[in-house]
Amino acid sequence: MNPLTLLARRREYAVALALALTIAVAGIVNPAFLAAGNLRDILVQVVPAAIVGCGLTFVIVTGEIDISVGSSMGLLAAVLGQLCSPLHAGLPVWVAVVLTLLAGTLIGLVNGLLVTVARVPSIIVTLGMLTALRGATEMLMAGKWITDLPSALRFLGTGSVLGMRVSLWMAALVIVTSILFARNTALGRRVYAVGSNPHAAHLAGLSVGRIKIFVFTLTGFLVGVATLVSVPQLSVIESGIGIGLELLVVTCVVVGGTSISGGKGTIIGTILGVGLLGIVRTVLIFLNLGERSVYWERAIQGGFILAAVLADNFAQKNKRGEAHA
Amino acid sequence: MPDGPLVALRNITKTFGGVHALSGVTLEIAAGEIHALCGENGAGKSTLIKILSGSVQPDSGEVLVDGSPLATGSVAVSEAAGIAVIHQEIVAFPHLSAQDNIFIGREPRRGILLDRAKMRSEAQRLLNQLGEDIDLSQPVGDLPVAQQQMVGMARALSHRCRLLIMDEPTASLSARETTVLFRIIRQLQSEGVSILYVSHRLEEIFALSNHITVLRDGRWVATEPTREINQDRLIQLMVGRELAQAEAETKPATSAERVLLEVRGLKREGVFDEISLQVRAGEIVGMAGLVGAGRSEVAQSVFNLDPRDAGEVLLDGEPLPAGSVRRAMQRGLALVPEDRQHAGLVLPMSVGANLSMASLPSLTCCGLTSARREDELIQKLMRELVVKAASPKLAASSLSGGNQQKLVLGKWLARRPKVLILDEPTRGVDVGAKAEIYRLIRGLAAEGMGVLLISSDLPEVLSLSDRILIMREGRISGELSRTEATQEKILALAIPAATAQAA
Repeated sequence: MNPLTLLARRREYAVALALALTIAVAGIVNPAFLAAGNLRDILVQVVPAAIVGCGLTFVIVTGEIDISVGSSMGLLAAVLGQLCSPLHAGLPVWVAVVLTLLAGTLIGLVNGLLVTVARVPSIIVTLGMLTALRGATEMLMAGKWITDLPSALRFLGTGSVLGMRVSLWMAALVIVTSILFARNTALGRRVYAVGSNPHAAHLAGLSVGRIKIFVFTLTGFLVGVATLVSVPQLSVIESGIGIGLELLVVTCVVVGGTSISGGKGTIIGTILGVGLLGIVRTVLIFLNLGERSVYWERAIQGGFILAAVLADNFAQKNKRGEAHA
Repeated sequence: MPDGPLVALRNITKTFGGVHALSGVTLEIAAGEIHALCGENGAGKSTLIKILSGSVQPDSGEVLVDGSPLATGSVAVSEAAGIAVIHQEIVAFPHLSAQDNIFIGREPRRGILLDRAKMRSEAQRLLNQLGEDIDLSQPVGDLPVAQQQMVGMARALSHRCRLLIMDEPTASLSARETTVLFRIIRQLQSEGVSILYVSHRLEEIFALSNHITVLRDGRWVATEPTREINQDRLIQLMVGRELAQAEAETKPATSAERVLLEVRGLKREGVFDEISLQVRAGEIVGMAGLVGAGRSEVAQSVFNLDPRDAGEVLLDGEPLPAGSVRRAMQRGLALVPEDRQHAGLVLPMSVGANLSMASLPSLTCCGLTSARREDELIQKLMRELVVKAASPKLAASSLSGGNQQKLVLGKWLARRPKVLILDEPTRGVDVGAKAEIYRLIRGLAAEGMGVLLISSDLPEVLSLSDRILIMREGRISGELSRTEATQEKILALAIPAATAQAA
């Protein structure tokens, strides 16, 4: 197998290579990029995408999609803020945390039920949710900001345990659990089976619907987790939180090698994808493009997703050619 | 263990959209026997298997295991009762490894985690038993087809099954692998496992089975001990004696007519090879063969839907280059596909729109379509075809199967093709509509059209065709004239010759 084919087939290698090259080039151009503080900032910044990406990988592996995660995060942030802000409900922080996680899980469950029981295509279900949840957020916030977040909540976003940010601990926990789930649990393998061949999964006695409901619900829960550790990094909650997150995360998952048609994809790949996309943003800032860096970021993000799918098709074609030979 | 049969089917009936797939079938399988199930395409074998495996719910009747009724319609319940199936088409998870494929749905666990060590050693053991050396960690989709089949086999063996159903298990196996398979089957039998063996390869059935059950048109015909029956008798039972309305209408000899379609040495790697045939003006050429013999694939290649690797196609004496369906259509070729729901009609669109769909260019001037001329065409076609629809504005999906099929025919007839290829034109069509479609086909030929008729319905082929070509495993295995053709002769040419047993 020539190296190019290997890179196309094992996307993880290709993305890891791109990641390493980007870091190296950025470090050479501007050594400040490699400063410990900067690298930590990058990691903290990509935490929400990494946590949500784990859930979305499983959704895409089953052959479905969820583009409601950004709006879902917006609504959960509003809910979280209003529950624990002394000017609103003023509930104890732990109660607000539990309720936020429940709300996220519930949104995911509704997505899953609409896709399986009501048989609405997931792109439509979650497109509807993308709009509806953002609308609900704006109603809830009524144009105001929440600025009086209790310090116990801020700790989730800015505090450290054993020298590492709480959000990083949480991301690590989610990633490790997800890897273990994918590789070493029966349900994890079944998620892949359902995406690989739904008909065969049915013949093997698997409940395709229940497995899909599970992955949507899991994703909803993980959006809740991501909200808890990322939103309190800021001192303000407003109605625009999470806008564009869905595009970023879908891009990371697909760039990381998960096949949009289902059956194939790894958590490691997704995390590498998150790393690559996250680095690109910072590198653009370091290149001193000023205002324009925002435009470049979008263009590059779009380019990445197209390139990933093209590479996938290339690998497929190559594989078929080999099988014929 | 009681003395009764291990598994019994009692009065099983199943209909799909008004068509009887099975009616009142009763069947008993004893413990430790190899029971062969025979019948032509469409006899109801697949439906029977699906009912046993729980993926289809029968309309009436019951399935008994050890004398007690089984809740039908659940794969999990059937599996728990010890019924496992090796499917004809390879149902695997292409992205998963061999060991995941073998154990999916019944994974060995240690606590909440998978017992991967046990999965690996068990998978290794099962595959060793099958004499296969397969990379357990590679995605199964990357393995050769025969190895994929062996993984499926290992999966079935991994159940502690009591009845193993094998649906054409040797279809994609080489002679060596078939020998291994037979060894495994006999070994399972000696361990007391019952086998329901479905195959078109009669040699295999005679070599393996204890009993043979024959189905025909969804009905039980006979169950006989294998040693009391011979091949001729079995074929007779499969086809039945009544040769439905095959009264040969005298037709003018067509050998003097122009050759409209000629195929020379057509080949598609791994699908079919050395296909040569001619269709003359006014002639109906039948194409018979078992499912999977490559008939539809030949038609699709001639029509340029699929590529060809060698050979040429001539229309009216002029070569038709490969690659363009549009060119094939312009040159007067039409193909009415087998799967009318997916490939032949746009179901949500109106009857009229479906009829005029293939003729729009001829109704269009300067980019605008003439509604008046379109209406005229639709009215004319509906009269000619006797389409039973209240209005051309109705959705095509609201029509019966037979009338839908007429629409598919009409769509192509509107273009007045020189050569019409029909792929299973009456599948799933009721008897009345069948007769009308036959009349239509005969009428077209009488007007000078050349017709290539692919059909698995032998009485249909016999009553319509002037000549019959028989395909077997991707090649033309024989040609019979209208006068010499019988169902028995066609089947004898269609059934694959001796396999591993001869080797």
